[in-house]
Amino acid sequence: MISVQLASLLTSGMLIIIGLFAALFLDNIFKKIIGISFITEGVNLFIVTLGYKSDGVVPIFLPGMVKDVFVQNSAYPLPAAMVLTSIVIGASTLAVMLALVIILYQKHGTLSASKLLMDDEEMEAGE
Amino acid sequence: MDSFIPLLVIVPIFCAILLNLCHGKDKLVKLLALIFGITLPITPIFVNYGNHFFGGYSPLFLNSSWATNLPSTITNSILFNFHPAITYVFGGMQQIFIFILGILTFFVIFTSLNESKRASGVYTFLIFMGTAAVTAVFLTDDIFHLYIFFEISVMTQVGIILCSNIQRKHETALKYMFLSNIAAPMLLLGIGLLLGLTGNVNISDIIIAIKTGVVTPDNPVLLMAAALILFGWLYGSGLPPFHSIKSAMYSKATPHAAAILQVFTVFIFVSLGIVIIRIFAFISLLRWIIMIISALAMILGISMAITQHDFKRMIGYLAVGELGYVGLGLAIGTIQSITACLFQAVNEILLTGLLFIGVGTILYKTGTTDTNKLGGMLTENPFVAFIFLLTGFAMAGVPPFNAFQSKLLLIQSALNAGFPELGVLMIILSIVTFMTFVKVFYTVYLKPQPENMKIINKKIPQVTVISMVLLLIVCIMLGLFPNIVTNAFSQFAMGLL
Repeated sequence: MISVQLASLLTSGMLIIIGLFAALFLDNIFKKIIGISFITEGVNLFIVTLGYKSDGVVPIFLPGMVKDVFVQNSAYPLPAAMVLTSIVIGASTLAVMLALVIILYQKHGTLSASKLLMDDEEMEAGE
Repeated sequence: MDSFIPLLVIVPIFCAILLNLCHGKDKLVKLLALIFGITLPITPIFVNYGNHFFGGYSPLFLNSSWATNLPSTITNSILFNFHPAITYVFGGMQQIFIFILGILTFFVIFTSLNESKRASGVYTFLIFMGTAAVTAVFLTDDIFHLYIFFEISVMTQVGIILCSNIQRKHETALKYMFLSNIAAPMLLLGIGLLLGLTGNVNISDIIIAIKTGVVTPDNPVLLMAAALILFGWLYGSGLPPFHSIKSAMYSKATPHAAAILQVFTVFIFVSLGIVIIRIFAFISLLRWIIMIISALAMILGISMAITQHDFKRMIGYLAVGELGYVGLGLAIGTIQSITACLFQAVNEILLTGLLFIGVGTILYKTGTTDTNKLGGMLTENPFVAFIFLLTGFAMAGVPPFNAFQSKLLLIQSALNAGFPELGVLMIILSIVTFMTFVKVFYTVYLKPQPENMKIINKKIPQVTVISMVLLLIVCIMLGLFPNIVTNAFSQFAMGLL
């Protein structure tokens, strides 16, 4: 039977690949942003998986716990702390991106990335 | 341990928050921004060298009271060197860089407040926040901490572009954010792989784990981590293939904002570059890749600069090209080359900042930076033209300016390390840089004034001219007395290798 850790790693890999595909090859700007979110969440899942311990306990030492048993079974807390920070950063960048998309949609009336994100040189050539 | 080291980050964050709260009260923002701006170059002078361990959790080998009576299983293991807390390292090299950052930030705030009628609390907040972020990136010995402040600096850079009144700023900001949100998770994935291999995110601990054989150097996961962190580095510093987006960013910002943006870029470039060299120095392939990309950045940046007709974009490309010199120094990897690359980085910060402030004077007077629409500016302000000409000479590596010393040192280090072709490339590209400046100086200052060119403002603010003169004096001082900085840099390079 496939282990939880392996399943999580495979899922994170799939999320990153799907996200990269969407971010690089899809033209709709919302789909690109969803793809970017997939990449971020895939990486977060990967890091959380690193801290996973089969039959482990939450790394918080509570009264009544036996010290040796806690040391043996507690999961590694660092990845969870890192992911918590990463989620906050991801949420804030996502909010800024969505705000920019709203402004650009109001300005240009399109969600096509190839039209919105044209280079200045391409713009000049088009004119 | 020095408990004042975090002040280097805390002070600008505090100033940023206060300025943001004062947004809308113009006079108060101006006054506070100037007072806070002065604190930035002063703070690093008064902070002592040393390490700061957050929470006071120092490694066991530095804490004699804890280390006594420990079993040999701990004292003989890597646990003895393990850093249990986020660590800030502050030495001579960091002091020079943070001091230069403080000077540039102060001059940028100084000129921007004088050139604009209204003082934006949000804009000054972003400048101070960005300064705090890149300072933390430079000080930290924790790679995840570095990632967090890297992301904060990206956000502030996007904010600074959005604060400018330039066309298509939203498009450029979104494009930059797209790339950022692909490159930053890749950097985080690389950090995650290092965490999985070594159980650590402290850079010194990771190095110890590799050197003591906890992780074998030829581990493919380590190579994958190196590739991902390199990708993040290329994006953060605007090296190829991200060079055009970086120069587009500079062109979409006001000149003083562009000056500070390029300082942030150089800081990210140097700090992440040093991390890569520290952790992955044993991978010769990686050094070759850095060398090739840096040479490519020099060739693409400088050759594309000569074809630009937008002044800001031209300087943006030149800044990318100059970063290539710094990258080459890192890739050669000798004490002399790393000293030279750090010196070149300081010079680039000063000279590109000075050039962007110089472009600001032209924009202020004419309302455009398009060289096709400009001409005859020499008669308008000959003194600024003279400073601009000297700055161009300095960037091209003409003596007695600072870039001459750093480029000479870089060429010598390339020759000593057995890369004469790199030395030749650097000389050729310095000549091309010189040609670019001669061309642009003729177009803007010497060519007859076009009939449709309008002079919006007659007089350039004295503050801007004073800032330019002072920055040029710093450049000449560094050119005449390079030992002011090179001694600290060579000591750092010796420690690094």
